[in-house]
Amino acid sequence: MKRMLRTYGWELLLVVLIVLAGIWSSFLSPYFLDPVNLFSSAGFFVIFALMAFGLFPIILQGEIDISLASTLAVGSVLLGKLSQLGFPLAVALPIVLIICGILGAVNGLLVAVVGLPSLAVTLGTMGAYRGIAYLFAGDAGVTTIPPAYVSLGSSWIGIVPMTVVLAIAVGIVFAVLTTSTRFGRNSYAIGNSASASRLAGVSVAATRVAAYALAGVASGLAGYVWLAQYQSARGDNADGSILFVITAVVLGGVSIKGGSGRALGVALAILLLGTIQTGMKLANIPGTSQTLVIGALLVGSIGIPRIVQIVRGRIAAPRPAPKIDVDVRREEATQESKRTA
Amino acid sequence: MFTRTRQGRRTAAGIAAAVAAIIVLAGCSSSAPTSAGGSAPTGKAVKIFMAPKFTGLAYFEVARKGGEAAAKDEGFTFSYIGSDQPTATDQISTLTNAIPQKPSALVVSAIDGNAVAPALKQARAAGIKVVTYDADSAIDARDLFVNQLDYTLAAKTMLDAALLNSPDGGLVAFISASPTAVNHTAHVKIMKHLIDTDAKYSKFKYVDTVQFAGDDAQKSQDIALNLIQANPTLKVIISSSAVSAPAAEQAIVNAGLQARVSATGFALPSSVKDFIKNGDSKAFALWDPTELGYVATAAAYQLATGKITAKEGQVVDAGKHGKYTVGKDGEVDYNKPLIFTKDNIDKYSF
Amino acid sequence: MSNPTAVTRRRLSLGGSTSALRVRFLGVVIFLAILVIAFSLLSPQFFTLGNGRSVLFTAAILAIAAAGQSLVVLTGNLDLSVGSIMGLTAYVVFDLAGKNAALQPFVVILALAIGALLGFINGVFVTVLQIPSIVATLGTLSIYRGFVSVYANAKEVTSGTLPPWMRALATQVWLGLPSYVWISAVIIAIVAVALTRLPWGRKIYAYGSNPKAARFYGLSSTRIVIGAYVGAGMIAAIAGLLLGAQVGNINSLLANGIELQVLAAVVIGGVSIWGGSGSVIGAAIGAVVLATINNGLVLLEVQEFYRLLIQGAAIIAAVWVDAIVQRRVIGSGTRRRIMEVES
Repeated sequence: MKRMLRTYGWELLLVVLIVLAGIWSSFLSPYFLDPVNLFSSAGFFVIFALMAFGLFPIILQGEIDISLASTLAVGSVLLGKLSQLGFPLAVALPIVLIICGILGAVNGLLVAVVGLPSLAVTLGTMGAYRGIAYLFAGDAGVTTIPPAYVSLGSSWIGIVPMTVVLAIAVGIVFAVLTTSTRFGRNSYAIGNSASASRLAGVSVAATRVAAYALAGVASGLAGYVWLAQYQSARGDNADGSILFVITAVVLGGVSIKGGSGRALGVALAILLLGTIQTGMKLANIPGTSQTLVIGALLVGSIGIPRIVQIVRGRIAAPRPAPKIDVDVRREEATQESKRTA
Repeated sequence: MFTRTRQGRRTAAGIAAAVAAIIVLAGCSSSAPTSAGGSAPTGKAVKIFMAPKFTGLAYFEVARKGGEAAAKDEGFTFSYIGSDQPTATDQISTLTNAIPQKPSALVVSAIDGNAVAPALKQARAAGIKVVTYDADSAIDARDLFVNQLDYTLAAKTMLDAALLNSPDGGLVAFISASPTAVNHTAHVKIMKHLIDTDAKYSKFKYVDTVQFAGDDAQKSQDIALNLIQANPTLKVIISSSAVSAPAAEQAIVNAGLQARVSATGFALPSSVKDFIKNGDSKAFALWDPTELGYVATAAAYQLATGKITAKEGQVVDAGKHGKYTVGKDGEVDYNKPLIFTKDNIDKYSF
Repeated sequence: MSNPTAVTRRRLSLGGSTSALRVRFLGVVIFLAILVIAFSLLSPQFFTLGNGRSVLFTAAILAIAAAGQSLVVLTGNLDLSVGSIMGLTAYVVFDLAGKNAALQPFVVILALAIGALLGFINGVFVTVLQIPSIVATLGTLSIYRGFVSVYANAKEVTSGTLPPWMRALATQVWLGLPSYVWISAVIIAIVAVALTRLPWGRKIYAYGSNPKAARFYGLSSTRIVIGAYVGAGMIAAIAGLLLGAQVGNINSLLANGIELQVLAAVVIGGVSIWGGSGSVIGAAIGAVVLATINNGLVLLEVQEFYRLLIQGAAIIAAVWVDAIVQRRVIGSGTRRRIMEVES
């Protein structure tokens, strides 16, 4: 029990927060506890969840990708165009997922093989992919999508939207990938120390490229969900949503420096953010306060445990908190970049 | 790379089986599940939500005042909802969460007319009347669209304001918000067409490429400066964006080029009063957003109480703000353009 | 734990970083030169005095913000809240000065104080609370922006209420160049001198290039990083103030999303995202590169999507070229050093 508490401490904290947020929301708005409404609200967060799951292994490896929302736009627009050219979904969707996977892999190659910093690379491709999306979409975007393409957005299993089921399935896939495959084990190892992993015979570059390609595919899938849910696609789809996605992954307990975190945490973080947002929106709380609350949650969720730690440390034993391992990791990242460069 | 460990294989198989079982057991439907719905309220129980593209922009706040005034006159409940983030996803989330609160009607300025359409259709399916104002959604997603100015009138108004700035015509350039801003794109297209075909505007020539500033003041200024550099004979910069038009004029004033070139387009009079009084720019245009908000909200009230059904030829009665006939495709043209000049700008307080 | 010999070796090799710095700087200058030549060939309007002036003017504020950002990036951290600091400062300061004319001469001091406070908060989050900088400033990006939204309550500060001297400043031309270009140059020069000549600045470089060794030599990481954030906050506040005066009508969305442009300028300018290497002047030239791209593409009447594509490609090209140049010139040395540390 104690061991479980220690291992899954963060997830348990998130569960507690979700329950608290749920109670708070049901006080805020009498409409909150309606299960039909809850599930239809959940559908709204599927797009972010898919991108967050995709981003998770990348952050696990100590890298970042801020171009995912642009990849989503390429995916939704391309799928929309293919639908109008008469391709059946079974053909168009794999094409789009492959293309989005390639876009992701391009990021991965630039980061892992060329050795460029991931933030700078994906800052560049964020703009470039957005440009590609505009190029495909034209001014008007894509509308009047054939029914086969949008049926996903209007199917339910009982009261659960099909898209939510899809998100859960993708979440499980990423959970399995990171916990039970060599890819996953390598990802944790690389996140902890890329150079040590290399010495241990791990193919760091291949694992990184794979993570970026997977994230591209997940974003492409999110593009499909966008098209199905909103029955249209434009070049500016999901613009600006990457900050929310990163917030979710970090809130999920995935260390931005790599090496720790679980898919379950990411899923719970999305659930928490979703609960809070839905509750506040249902209570018609002004948008500005919502921005404030989410920012405070992000800083607080990591800062408050740290304050507790400092205060407790002061009382118990006046020993400075160990900071070394963080720096070692950062330094390794530096070495790594210089070496691959 | 993705070879699984032995333990992993077992977990994965188990989970996959469980998911499959759930899907099979639950069965799959394609009709939306709904909570029990009530009949539309009448009189004072009427509740109307106004959702701007995003909150925090002065223009929408002015329109909100119109909605509040209508609520006061007719005695219904009015709420102003929205996110401060100018993105389609945020507006969709706002609208989706409005539905379970069962308002009688929604008054919406759509940030992405097609992407919000499914949410609006859901609202209509739940018995909520939908009126769009300022920026329309897909036609079948709303009952009425209260259009401030039909696209041609908007284009003509801006060109008229441009003529006041540059009576001898000359070269004009356009700044829009984004390639996806439907009304901006339409305005520019019609303005180009008018310049090409209408004798009144034939003194103008235009720069074909439209620049996009994303409703950002700084970007509008940079683009304005770059346009002036690119086109030494440029006379007027025209923008449908209430952010870009004043920002472009400010950039011109900052660069000391008022005598050579000027900006015009749609702008709140409060944001351009100084320019017009100083003679930097002779004219800007808009409509009265308060009245637009009033008319749209009044239309929503009349739909909610069953006074009108959005049929062509019916009349929206906005009391002291006039009567408006429903046109084709549920479009109600407000069509009262205002051109602000030195002589009249003090009359407007918004 | 730290290995003294390795640390000493690394410290000794720090001397080589001066030449590396020069090379990085050269990369962005060459990049800019290529752009200028290309645009001059493609458009007759490009290589004119007026256009050069205009490019510098549009680059001025971005360059100031990039200078502040590079302070933080040099320590190996990030400040994503720069746009929110700019917006908050501009709105709050001009709103207060508009309501109370007695404050008008002190807007700069007020802005510096607000910027220092916001930067200090960032710094405390990153050092004392040990929140990774990208997360901490992502949080304060929302918090600061949320605050200004609540404060503004959907109102605008209109140009008529700005202090007249600030408005006049935005339009002034000194010695043939817009005042903003001079102000920008002075701020960048101050930061550059402080970074290379003052102990404060050298500590930032030392800490950024090797935090472990810096701590080993008794440098306080907390003080250095908080110092960098406070400096960056104050510089961002000035940038916000200038932007506010330039724009005239200020709403709560001023400078929303500018952080990515600032980051792009810093990266193009050859400041290493890993910290410890790069120069403020490089970052400022990075801002000029971005302004040149925007200007040139308007002159060439290029569509919006191409602008996005070309800007994205420019960022990647810049870091790529930088990586190649770095490897060619100091590659052998770096490689040897890594071997030593690793073994």
